[in-house]
Amino acid sequence: MNEKLRDLIITDFLAIVLGLTVSALILLFLDKNPVESFGILFSSIISDKYTFAEIFVKATPLIFTALAFAFAFKANLFNIGAQGQFYIGSLIAVSSSLFLQGKMPSGIALVIVFLLTVIGGGIWGSFIGFAKAKFKANEFLVSMMSTYVALAIMNYLLRTVLIETKAEYPQTNPLDTSMWLPTFIPGTRLHIGFLIAVIVAIAVWILLYKTTLGYRIRVVGRNSEAARLAGISSKRLYIIAFLISGSLAAMAGFTEVNGVQHMLLQGFNPDIGSAGIGIAILANANPIGIIFASILFGALKVGGTIMGQMSGIPSSIIELMQGFVMVFVILSYFVRSQLEIRREKRKLRKVVEE
Amino acid sequence: MINILSRALMMSTPLLYGSIAEVYAERTGMMVTAIEGIFLMGAWGGFVGAYLSGSLFLGIIVAILAGIITAVSYAWITVYLKQHQVVTGVAINILAVGICSFFMRVIFGVPIIPLTVEPLATIPIPILSQIPVIGPVFFNQNILTYLMYLIIPTAYFILYKTSIGLIIRSTGENPVAVDVAGLTVERIRFIVVLIAGAMGGIAGAFYSIGYIGMFTTNIIGGRGWIAFAICFLGNWNPLGALIGALVFGLAEAIGIYMQSSGGGFFPNELFIALPYILTIVLTITRKSFNVPAQLGVPYKKEN
Repeated sequence: MNEKLRDLIITDFLAIVLGLTVSALILLFLDKNPVESFGILFSSIISDKYTFAEIFVKATPLIFTALAFAFAFKANLFNIGAQGQFYIGSLIAVSSSLFLQGKMPSGIALVIVFLLTVIGGGIWGSFIGFAKAKFKANEFLVSMMSTYVALAIMNYLLRTVLIETKAEYPQTNPLDTSMWLPTFIPGTRLHIGFLIAVIVAIAVWILLYKTTLGYRIRVVGRNSEAARLAGISSKRLYIIAFLISGSLAAMAGFTEVNGVQHMLLQGFNPDIGSAGIGIAILANANPIGIIFASILFGALKVGGTIMGQMSGIPSSIIELMQGFVMVFVILSYFVRSQLEIRREKRKLRKVVEE
Repeated sequence: MINILSRALMMSTPLLYGSIAEVYAERTGMMVTAIEGIFLMGAWGGFVGAYLSGSLFLGIIVAILAGIITAVSYAWITVYLKQHQVVTGVAINILAVGICSFFMRVIFGVPIIPLTVEPLATIPIPILSQIPVIGPVFFNQNILTYLMYLIIPTAYFILYKTSIGLIIRSTGENPVAVDVAGLTVERIRFIVVLIAGAMGGIAGAFYSIGYIGMFTTNIIGGRGWIAFAICFLGNWNPLGALIGALVFGLAEAIGIYMQSSGGGFFPNELFIALPYILTIVLTITRKSFNVPAQLGVPYKKEN
């Protein structure tokens, strides 16, 4: 195994263990036994099929938002707005599903809903890339702010045109069962959205590492000046990168609406955007790594919820675990660079001695 | 009308604390992307301190400490360990949410009724507050707003007219020169971020104990990011930040007014989204930015 990959795996593993250990120790403030609490966490997530499958249910949207961040990041762009792109995706998924249900075979309808969601999220995202390319606007700020705008749009629509027939709560009517993404393990909520996520992650990997477009995106990301000299128009790539990034995040809206909630309601998954960034960092922005990192975060979510139900630990333990794991992962980047420097020095010394 | 203007000035106060903090930090080359987390920790620290001690003053001290602790963790990772500023900020912000809500539970359990403190009182200044229009708008505010009147000229003066200001500006433009002059780039950045943390802590406290006297984990709701944006839009200048903060304060005050008065033709959500839309529009239309040359770049000594 090459040394860099070995370092990556060992330090990432240590970072996760340390992050969880610190979170566990914090439980002492609540007079809870950390060993016992985490014991409950680990034993309960593998105790029954339903809970175990929940990990992958929770991981599904995270794969998409993490891919959205990672993809733009490869072009040295910051898409902090995956949360908003997810909201836009959810809105399109729910409204087109409600419109199409019963009008055509569900397979065809679901494909159309998926495509509309992807296109809509892409347009919303490409606006950020366009602002960057045309007006040199700071994409970090624009994408960040676009989330709050998307949230306002979603709340407005949920309160007005999309509101349920009873008009009691700001939420839509439930989707017809024909518009639900099929589950593939009986007795669980695990739907084919997870498989779509895995396929999309692989596709993103191929796009980034095996195609000219991906190559260009990575060149612009490493050195935009060199890219310009090589005749690559970085402006066009900004728009394309955000278009793809936005549509990736919007896919999470499709899988969450059609696969899990089967409706859209206010305060829907408010933290998958920031968790996605954490996952992308943990996976070093590698699409395949993102699948595994998302499963880890999914497990933290499921485990944290169970801890809350079984032993009265607040569900904020989830953010604590995620936050500490992320901080330690960032520290592990530092450790890796130190290891790398030391290795280089040793090599140099060897050369000098010879 | 006077009500809206007075409210606008009040709402611009925390944004100004935050954006001046950000201006100083960014002038040394440090984007404080943990600002949302710093605001949140400040809001939380301020509330907990004030609730437990019964003194708003002690609340603000706790808020300052909470802001500093958050900023120091951020600065240690980004300045000394030279890790990515955006990525580190995201991690710190998530952790801040976890810490606030977890320790809220540790300290207060699950309260049946929402916990409140008496917020900072407005202190009408004798004579001055009697002036028509100007009086009620400018001289009938709370102590943090009055303090802001002092901070603006001081911040401007220090940055442009003193040697400390010159050092701060040079650190962001040409850290090598600062290094050659015998100063430690890392230490300057670390200290400035620490001070920014204290300011951000006060800004956060303004949201919890400044006027509503409550704390919830979504109390900041992106205002840290707005302060961050104001620093950009104000062209890294304390006076630019002042204009920016006033514009956003006004947008927020109009939003609150329209929400409470029904809004008429326009939906409430439009007014809630107004500051964010404004940021996008200004980011796109504003030209000729004076970005500090080394913004976001960790300093690595050549040897």
